[in-house]
Amino acid sequence: MKTSVVFSAFLSLLSLASTGSAHGHHHHHHGTSKAAAAPVTVKPPQVFKNVNLVHIVSLEKNYVKESINVVIENIDKEAQSDYLVPFTNEQLSLLGGLEVRDRKNAESGPFVVEPMEIESFGPNQYVRIRLPTPLAPGAQQTLGITYYLLNAYKPLPASIKQEDQQFLSYSFSAYCPSVYITSKQKTEVKFASTNIPDYTKLPGSGDVKEFPQKQGSKLVYGPFDEKPAGALKPVQVRFEFNKPVIHVSKLERDIEVSHWGGNVAFEERYDMEHRGANLTSLFNRVKWQQQQYYNPVTHALKEMKFPLRVGSADPYYTDVIGNVSTSRFRSNKREALLEIKPRYPLFGGWKYPFTIGWNSDAKNFLRKTATGGFVLNVPFLEGPKQPEGVEYEQVVVRLILPEGAENVKWTTGIPKSSISEAGVQIHKTFLDTIGRTALIIKGRNLVDDFRDRDLTVTYDYPMSAVLRKPLVVFSSSMAVFVSLWLLSLVNLKFTSKK
Amino acid sequence: MSADSLERLAGAGKGDSTRTMLRVIILLLVAGAAVSSRLFSVIRFESIIHEFDPWFNFRATKYLVANGFYKFWDWFDDRTWHPLGRVTGGTLYPGLMVTSGVIYHALRALSIPVDIRNVCVLLAPAFSGLTAYAAYLLTNEMTPSSSAGLLAAIFMGIAPGYISRSVAGSYDNEAIAIFLLVFTFYLWIKALKLGSMLWGALCALFYGYMVASWGGYAFITCLLPLHAFVLICMGRYSTRLYVSYTTWYALGTLASMQIPFVGFLPVKTSEHMPALGIFGFLQLLAFLDYVRSAIPSRQFQTFLWVFAGSIFGVGLIGLVVATSAGYIAPWSGRFYSLWDTGYAKIHIPIIASVSEHQPTAWPAFFFDLNMLIWLLPAGVYLCYQKLADEHVFVIVYALFGSYFAGVMVRLMLTLTPVVCVAAAIALSTILNTYLKAKSPVPEEHMVDESTDGASKKAAKSGLKASSKPFIGIYATFSKVTIVGAMTAYLLLFVAHCTWVTSNAYSSPSVVLASRMPDGSQHIIDDYREAYQWLRQNTKEDAKIMSWWDYGYQIGGMADRPTLVDNNTWNNTHIATVGKAMASREEVSYPIMRQHEVDYILVVFGGLLGYSGDDINKFLWMVRIAEGIWPDEVKEREFFTPRGEYRVDAGATDTMKNSLMYKMSYHNYNNLFPPGQAQDRVRGVRLPDDGGPVLNSIEEAFTSENWIIRIYKVKDLDNLGRDHASASAFERGLKKKKVIKKKGPRVLRVD
Repeated sequence: MKTSVVFSAFLSLLSLASTGSAHGHHHHHHGTSKAAAAPVTVKPPQVFKNVNLVHIVSLEKNYVKESINVVIENIDKEAQSDYLVPFTNEQLSLLGGLEVRDRKNAESGPFVVEPMEIESFGPNQYVRIRLPTPLAPGAQQTLGITYYLLNAYKPLPASIKQEDQQFLSYSFSAYCPSVYITSKQKTEVKFASTNIPDYTKLPGSGDVKEFPQKQGSKLVYGPFDEKPAGALKPVQVRFEFNKPVIHVSKLERDIEVSHWGGNVAFEERYDMEHRGANLTSLFNRVKWQQQQYYNPVTHALKEMKFPLRVGSADPYYTDVIGNVSTSRFRSNKREALLEIKPRYPLFGGWKYPFTIGWNSDAKNFLRKTATGGFVLNVPFLEGPKQPEGVEYEQVVVRLILPEGAENVKWTTGIPKSSISEAGVQIHKTFLDTIGRTALIIKGRNLVDDFRDRDLTVTYDYPMSAVLRKPLVVFSSSMAVFVSLWLLSLVNLKFTSKK
Repeated sequence: MSADSLERLAGAGKGDSTRTMLRVIILLLVAGAAVSSRLFSVIRFESIIHEFDPWFNFRATKYLVANGFYKFWDWFDDRTWHPLGRVTGGTLYPGLMVTSGVIYHALRALSIPVDIRNVCVLLAPAFSGLTAYAAYLLTNEMTPSSSAGLLAAIFMGIAPGYISRSVAGSYDNEAIAIFLLVFTFYLWIKALKLGSMLWGALCALFYGYMVASWGGYAFITCLLPLHAFVLICMGRYSTRLYVSYTTWYALGTLASMQIPFVGFLPVKTSEHMPALGIFGFLQLLAFLDYVRSAIPSRQFQTFLWVFAGSIFGVGLIGLVVATSAGYIAPWSGRFYSLWDTGYAKIHIPIIASVSEHQPTAWPAFFFDLNMLIWLLPAGVYLCYQKLADEHVFVIVYALFGSYFAGVMVRLMLTLTPVVCVAAAIALSTILNTYLKAKSPVPEEHMVDESTDGASKKAAKSGLKASSKPFIGIYATFSKVTIVGAMTAYLLLFVAHCTWVTSNAYSSPSVVLASRMPDGSQHIIDDYREAYQWLRQNTKEDAKIMSWWDYGYQIGGMADRPTLVDNNTWNNTHIATVGKAMASREEVSYPIMRQHEVDYILVVFGGLLGYSGDDINKFLWMVRIAEGIWPDEVKEREFFTPRGEYRVDAGATDTMKNSLMYKMSYHNYNNLFPPGQAQDRVRGVRLPDDGGPVLNSIEEAFTSENWIIRIYKVKDLDNLGRDHASASAFERGLKKKKVIKKKGPRVLRVD
């Protein structure tokens, strides 16, 4: 309740500031709603100070992982619970998996994070972090903010030869963007290789002559002294990334639970493309075959490995024109590994949509509760495990429960900010009469770091629903037989039988 | 166990209902055998559409399912025959697609989630079960013994001659057409026997369905009138014939005219004239019949001659005039080639280039029909013995069918049903004779004969064939030998059918199978690799030029517009592609620009030893192109002075400069150590001159085993140079570039 009071206080502050605005405003008082106030130009309230900030930009995979570890201090006179983080509009559309934790208290769960949709707040959008307990004036807290940015690289040069190395570039600010004053900060940039041919150099401070400092496959900008709120210093780095830049624009993941069959069937449909550098001249098979022989490291995607849950069986790998024979499945007591190769090596700008699926025994995922309900625990995301990582722009998980399942509730370890939509629908298949209950959860901007996060669903499945199908099938076939028998009694002939 | 139940056990198979039950079970088993013997390719490979034409049918079915019937009916396909397009809805037989569509929607309505591909793949096996049943019905009309029908059913179910066109995945018109053919014949016989209008109408209905399904309907259109004509000539004109034929003809012709592709052909083309002629002839006969009953016989004689003569004369003149005036189309080329097997080779290379239009080799009969082919004459002979109207049908069908099967490999299909029926009649007669456990008692027979003396005399005075000698087998040894031999033949037949189906007819041809050194199966999937690449990585409307064989597959799998495809309706367009392939780059490039070609696809088997590649088909391209441009493309120039077709160092300049040759061997020698480049199909070493140089097109994709090679047509040069000098300049520049050291790249920071 307290947070809500603070929230509305904050809103009224904003609306007071926007005296010139003719817009009326209204707001809801429950915590999850979004504010709709429309101030014109206003600086977010300067209630915090970043005492010490370490910004780690990890460019090791084909998505950007940024983490900001910051010690914040309340410099206001009142206790504060809303800490704002700025993102550009562009960043916000690429942003995913935003999570904030207390660095000092690993036990506490992730904080509530929500975007603030304030219309004309300048070029930036703000994300509000709600501290679980308001920070008293003068008190400090250490936040660990992590998030991912998809689609953030630009290949430079944009097109290369088949056997060339691939370089990517990434632009960011050497000063961590913040709405508060930052006393001390540094930015570390991590790379997958030590080959970083170009990066923006900044004048150093203190005993360091020039930023950044290069430490192996790492660049460090800073430490910098105090910077005002909103201070930016755009820098660009260009680095070798001789791996595929795999981007899944859409993953549809169907999980079908069968109580009668004791089976959970998985099917995943990938819209995959390579977002790396394109080829200057088109594909040359001779060169490719020679390259495979002499130097197998390439920026083309040749193979993907899907570590499935132990006990997975009957895998299939198809695409729009049928089965793809270049796959291997190794299954034993310790692992179930599906290795697939695309039909052709995937180069920059090329696409390869495909489908995989497999079955698993229901008892690996499903258990019955004491009250008679069921609990299903499946990974939210499986997908390939690649050294270079995989990013998912859109993930649609469709959990198809048995016909007549009701009272569906779900929780997931995926950050709330990455779930865009969820709802229950009806899915009709295999002689259904009323259709199956299908839980559909849409996620956006996820990466393969979330492979181990679960989706837990509880539901009730009454006995009447279990028996519905056999009864319906039996009675309808009986009805067909009886009506056929009745029809056979009708005499269609003109003459009576002799 | 009581004595009563024992008795019942012993009597099993004797009661009427038990027999019916047994028949139903046997027919179900036959259907099961027919379906399962067609599933080799699904088990070995996957549920996939086979070969070439089925890919079009599949694509059309998907269009039908997605867009509904009316859209399908009006479908103008702008993704084939670029830039002409094809009025697909009006130039196909919709029966197959509509059948699959109905099955698909029916299953969906029962909420059984079935993939349209699986419906299409399994349609042919499912219909083969029905065909077996139809063969059972047809044979039962010929002989009172239902064992013949059951034998015919199993023969029909597993005869390779029919399996060749109906394995799972072979989604072609024949898949349902053979069932419709046999069933229409059954209904015709039924109608003829009963003189029933209802059965005649049913026959017309299924005839209509057949017309909607397959161009081979003309076989029925010709066979039924022929049967009627033979019957009339035998003096067997009857009101039964009149009723059944006229009902069938009138309703059937109307039904067939509903198909846009057929339209007015039934009254306009020569193929359909016999049916119309017999229809008219029957009217005359009926009229004469009426006149004969009305006037005295002498006047009738005169009347008959005058009337018949004048009608014949008027009819003939009418036909000649109508044909020369163009109202009735003369025989089409494909029909000429039915009479003269050499016709197509000389006049229409495009028909001759299709392997299934070749004359049948003799071993093919044994390969496709095994022992049935030597049972056929026996069955026909037995039909002569009885010679009722329906037996005349079998005889006529057997003669007609075997002629056509000898002319065109493909028509083996229409022969198969009658072979199965006749063989079943023959075999069941043998088995019925030899399987009787009880020996006949001669005395009984003698007594029979003596008491029946009067009839015996009458028989003797009649034809020899009509006096039936007493048949009976006395010796157990001969019984055992014959039955044993027949059983052995039947078992061999089954083994042969399984072997042929498994080895000859179950390859999807889109996917090739080979063995790894350790004996495991290795799939060579180059076609789909390349098609998928095209589908994913080229523009949605990128035009693909390839030889017409691959048109349907590109449309179906790569989903890209093509210039020509397997529906070879426009010879000139095909010849244009042939010319582009057979000419030098400077000639081909303008042709490709005019047709907005973006990519060219060639099939090259040199690396793998895959013999069905484009270099081996190349002469057909040359011939077809020569047919249109005899001055520009000359077949002779592709042969060496000694008349050899060579691709190695001894190849002619025309050959070496042709686009097809260049595309096939471009960059190929780089795969081998210098001077070692080998073409494994032709078994020759390629010249060591650095390989052909391409100026106006560039390699875009080559599949893993080099079977498919795709080239991109270059755009016009930016500086207005011709491609040869532009690429020569580029090659020169490249050499310089290697020497020139580039300075370190500087990143621009703004």
